[in-house]
This record gives sequence, C-alpha cells and structure tokens, in this order.
Amino acid sequence: MTPRLRAEELRLGYGDSLVVDGLDLDVVGGTITAVIGPNGCGKSTLLRAMGRLLAPRGGQVLLDGKRIDKMPTREVARLLGVLPQSPQAPEGLTVADLVARGRHPHQAWYRQWSSDDHAAIDEALAMTGMTDLADRTLDELSGGQRQRAWISMALAQGTELLLLDEPTTYLDLAHQVDVLDLVQRLHGELGRTVVMVLHDLNLAARYADRLVALRAGKMVAQGRPHEVLTEDLLREVFDLEAKVIDDPVAGTPLVVPVGTRHRT
Amino acid sequence: MTALHGVRIGPVGLRFRLRPLVVPLVALALTVFAVALSIRLGDFPMSVGDVLRVLAGAGDATEQYIVFDLRLPRTLTGLLIGAAFGVAGAITQAISRNPLASPDILGVTPGASAGAVGVIVLASGFGGVASVAGAIGLPVAALIGGLVSAALVYVLAWRRGVDGYRLVLVGIGVQAFMLNLTYWLLTIGDVSQAGQALVWITGSLDARSWADLVPVAVALAVFLPLALVGAHVLGALQFDDDTVRNLGARVELSRFALILIAVMLAAIATAAAGPVFFVALATPQIAQRLAGTARPPLVASAVIGALLVSVSDLVARTAFPIELPVGVVTAVLGAPYLMFLIIRKRREVRA
Repeated sequence: MTPRLRAEELRLGYGDSLVVDGLDLDVVGGTITAVIGPNGCGKSTLLRAMGRLLAPRGGQVLLDGKRIDKMPTREVARLLGVLPQSPQAPEGLTVADLVARGRHPHQAWYRQWSSDDHAAIDEALAMTGMTDLADRTLDELSGGQRQRAWISMALAQGTELLLLDEPTTYLDLAHQVDVLDLVQRLHGELGRTVVMVLHDLNLAARYADRLVALRAGKMVAQGRPHEVLTEDLLREVFDLEAKVIDDPVAGTPLVVPVGTRHRT
Repeated sequence: MTALHGVRIGPVGLRFRLRPLVVPLVALALTVFAVALSIRLGDFPMSVGDVLRVLAGAGDATEQYIVFDLRLPRTLTGLLIGAAFGVAGAITQAISRNPLASPDILGVTPGASAGAVGVIVLASGFGGVASVAGAIGLPVAALIGGLVSAALVYVLAWRRGVDGYRLVLVGIGVQAFMLNLTYWLLTIGDVSQAGQALVWITGSLDARSWADLVPVAVALAVFLPLALVGAHVLGALQFDDDTVRNLGARVELSRFALILIAVMLAAIATAAAGPVFFVALATPQIAQRLAGTARPPLVASAVIGALLVSVSDLVARTAFPIELPVGVVTAVLGAPYLMFLIIRKRREVRA
C-alpha cells in the first residue's frame, strides 16, 4: 500500500540543536499509528514536521506523494489536521465558535458560512458528545471536556488524516480512555488515518495498529504492538526494566515496570 | 443550536449573531445624535432647524462659516479618527492576543509625537533644519514618525516570525525611546513652542479643517474594507501559531498585512489630531464586552471609537469654561478603565 504520509531522511531541530536526525516513516491510510519514546526524544517535533508546522532542516515530508511544503497550505489543511499539545484559544470563546473555526480551510472571506459547515460542525459536536455544551465557553469546561472540544474542532476540519500530539495529557485514566475510544471511533466509523504521540505505553499498544519507538531523534523500532513492545526494546529506548505480559482484556502487550524496590 | 446563524446568497455566505449586529447599530444612532449636538452647540448655539437650513445652502455668511468651516470639519474629523483608532486598536489587540495592546505599543503614536514635536520645535531657528522641517509640515512629519517607529518595532520584534508577546515587549521599549526623544525636543524648544507641542501630543481637534479630514477619510475608505476582508483571518490568528498554521492560514503574511492596516490607520489618524489617548486601547474592549464576542469586533470598534471621540470632544468643547484638548477628556475617561482592566487581569492570573 502506498503511504498517505511519508517522512524521508527527515532532519529537524530548533536553533542550534538537532532533535531528529535522518528519520524515515510511512503512515499507511486507514491505520492508527502511535509514536512512543522518552521525554525529549523528538516525538512532538516529528509530529509538527509531518503536519508542516515545522520546516525540516533536511529531508522531506510527502503527503499523497507530493512534497507537503510545496502544496498550498489551505489545500494541506483540507487533507490533514493537527492538534498541537497545548493549543490556546482566546478568552471567552464558546465551544461552538471553536469548532466552527475548524471550517476555516473550507471558507473564504466572502464565504464564511455554508450548509456544509453547519453539517460538519453539528456532526463533530455530536461525535464528541459536546452538543449540549456548545454554548459554553472553553474556560468553563473540565480538562476532559476541553480536550474533546479541541478534537471536535479537528474533526470539523473534515480531514482524512489527523495528527494528535498527546491528546490525553493532563487527563485522568478514565478520561484518557474516553478520548482514545473517541479516536478509535474516528478510525472505525469515519475511516480516518490517525498519527498520535502517546506517553502511556499500555494505552498506545491497546489503541494503535502500529507503534513507532523513538530515542534521541532516531527510530529504534516500528511495527505491530507485539513486535515493538518487548522487554529488550523497553530497556534500549526507555532504560526501563519491565516485564511485558498479555493484556488480560485486549490481548495486547502490557508493560509492567519493575522499579528498584522489586529488582532482584 | 442557538449560537450559530448563517445566511447564504449565491457564493457569499456569512455567519452572524444578533448581539454583535445590534451593538454597532445602536452606537451608530448615538453617534449621529452626538454629531448633531456637536454641530448645534458652542459659543454660537444654533437650533436643529438653523443647522439644516445652513446645510441646505441657506443662512448668512457667519452661520455658513461656523457650520462649514468650524464645526462640521472638526466634528467629522473627530468621528473619523475615532473610527480609525477603534479599528487599529481592535486589530492590534486581536493579533497580540493582549487586551492591553494598542497602536501605542506598535510604536505608531509615540513615533508620530516625536515627528510632530520635532517639526514644531525645529521649524523656528536651527538654520537650515528649519526650512526643511517647515516644508515637511506637521501632519506629514507625524505620519513619517509613526511609520518609521512602527517599522522599527516590527523589525526588532522579528525573529523568524513575529510573536505577539515579543511585539508588545519591543513596542514598550520603542515607546519609551520615542517619548524621551519627544521630551528632549521639548526641552530644546522655547516655551511657546513647547506649549503648542504639548497640546498636539495630548490630542486635539481644535481648528481642524477639511484639509485634516480628507486624509483620514481616504485612509478609512481604503483600509476599513481591507480590514473587513482580513477579519476572517484575524479570527484564526487568535489561536497559538501551530493551530493557526494547521488551519491553513499564512500566519506571517496575514499578520504583517493586518498590522500594516492597523499602523496606517493609526498613523494617519494621529497625524490629523495627535495621539488621542486611550481611544484605541479602550474602544475595542468596550466593543467586545458589549457585543459579547471572543475578540474585538471590527465594525463595532469603528462605530464605538467614533462615538467615544465625538462625545469626548463635545464635552471638551462645551462642558467647561475653557476649551480642553479632546485627549484630556478621553484620558480622564480612559485611565480608570485601564486600571479596571489591569485589576481584572491580575485577579484572573491569581485565580
């Protein structure tokens, strides 16, 4: 299968430091890919570059075979949506206004509203269970609700590809599962292709078709969760001593860290 | 869903809410009333009938002179600079995502003040400099000062893109520099010039003529429609840069174009009447609160700016035994409002 999104020999950095050095990655259409790795390994940087929010130092990102930096940014915005790690909205913005803003790439200054917009916004709100909260302002919402509102905005954008940077940060476990169930439904019911950065390895293994493990800006392993999440890899990537067992619910790998207290 | 209404006519589609539409209409009605009052009142009071008669071409030479050469240009200049400051402030605050930002922060008004005071002081004496300064003229010098200073802010704030916060910080620095330059110029001028210069840097509509009015009218006719076209992007620019880019907006280009519009409007308005304090700062916030929107609305800011300056000038001209510069009245109205904003902001930070 030809990849929807592809990174070739990608070199990324900020200022003088190089964060990602020579990375290749293929994202096949209709899959959920989770990028894992320790703090500061370049996960978010990689995601930002794949979503053309960061210009690469070297290499290139291809969207449907075309260089993403050569495509008009509005055209990219109709194919690919990125949800940054901590997005910021102006004070007093309502959920409905936020989600409506997701339609921006489909609008022009003389056409700021269409029935397509209306339908897409209603659907996005319904899918995330935010319809009843549409008139609330973002600062009135809980962390989980706020995250769902931002996901609604990304949904209203109507893109086949979604890049989510740690969509579960700051959420308790129940709300993490809630958000990831939503991602699962976007994939299952709407056929969206998702790339997300996740910190929780067990949830990543549970919800992703493919895992990509990074360490210090290099790809260490990629593949199905069982192939990637091994005891050797956890040691190599995270310097973590852990047992990997089968998740009693899903059968996916479950990481059980050892820690100093139980080290033999 | 109650929050979203939309209309479509052919390829044109707009989303609207009731409150942001009603607010400018009410403000417009009040502005018309203030303008009418302003033409009637003064040392030579006239009835509405008198004014209408004179406007229709009748009336004696004195009445003609009072309406057409004194009150009408002054009132309309106030109206238009109010609108220009309102829009400039709304754009600045939306882009910097900061309710305390205004064209002062973009360097426009302090630079314009330095330019204007420079001409006032240097036009007499100082040999060859005098003829140059005199030839440039005060409004043009103010315009040049404003634009140069704004360009300085933009260039100094540029570091692979312009960030709203850095723009504000650099702007405060340039503002301090320009203010001190202005004070230095005041000290080298003689006392009568210093007095004239101080009236100018307070912001005054005294003795404004059609020649002052026309540039502001042209600037509004050109830049207000452009600002309204840009309003759609302005809505997107309020998010963090990653989100804005994700939405397919060309961040730096749109930001530059909108800042340019704000700078031009503020610079030309300042050239006409001096930096009328607080109008550009307070107007967008008042408009935003009245309209109940998440960012300063452009049209409502224009109308409320016009209303604020019209009423302030009416007060400055008629409420006291001596006539005050309009900038004194707007400052008296604006200062408590600014304090209210800062206190409110601090409470939010603590909460």
